[in-house]
Amino acid sequence: MSGTGREVRTGPSAADREIVIDRIIDAPPELVFEAFTEVRHLSQWWGPEGFTTTTRSFEFREGAVWDFVMHGPDGTDYPEWITWTEIVPPERITLLHGESGDDPNSFESFLTFAPDGAATRIVMRTVFPTRELRDQAVEKYGAIEGGRQTLAGLAAYVTGTGRKQGIH
Amino acid sequence: MAAMARAATTSDAFNAIAEPQRRDILALLRSGERPVTDLARELGISQPGASKHLRVLREVGLVRVRGAGKQRLYGLDARGLKPIHEWVGGFEQFWAGSFDRLETYVQDLKQTRQEQ
Repeated sequence: MSGTGREVRTGPSAADREIVIDRIIDAPPELVFEAFTEVRHLSQWWGPEGFTTTTRSFEFREGAVWDFVMHGPDGTDYPEWITWTEIVPPERITLLHGESGDDPNSFESFLTFAPDGAATRIVMRTVFPTRELRDQAVEKYGAIEGGRQTLAGLAAYVTGTGRKQGIH
Repeated sequence: MAAMARAATTSDAFNAIAEPQRRDILALLRSGERPVTDLARELGISQPGASKHLRVLREVGLVRVRGAGKQRLYGLDARGLKPIHEWVGGFEQFWAGSFDRLETYVQDLKQTRQEQ
């Protein structure tokens, strides 16, 4: 139950190889935390709209693994291997993302669930071993996201493909 | 941190778009190509000022130019947008999308608990 997380040790030098995402969710931390603890919860929300998951195995305790396949909206399958490295209910979860148990390019996310009035502020800080691996992961997820994003639409527009579809 | 090397504005798209007026130019170009006079007028800046921004945007590959008769028309260039798209659109958007669904799911969970 240490108040300071492992993330403190990475210091400011991690700035070029980390990504921080935060969100306020209108529910107490216990409930938000619970949504991470079982497959029946995770399968309802993991991945953006249009994504689904098929779980091979799941256990929620420190050192255990969630082994699953993520299905993209275009039918592409992505193997996922999540190892829970720290679990402190309902405050924090640290996890390792990889494609397999021995993925050398695995990267770590530090999730914190802090009360914010009656709501919860969830912060996900992801730290990559190197800047190159961060860029690779960003590219991979960029590919996963496919053409769903506004800027992708913009890129399609400027390359002329959007114009044919009558986007003005 | 002060000693940390920073990429030059002219070689890094991310630095180039740190300037608000350059972002405004990109936003204006989303609706199509424009001459520099148009852009300067819309932004309320001088034409040399707009030209200077356009030169930076061209150097990082965010904007391209072509001659059309007597005019030079500036438009968006997908090559420079790609790294920016991958950066904001990839990992971050993936998780923003997941958290959107988490939010909805937790609200359902809350509702169910209250009814029990």
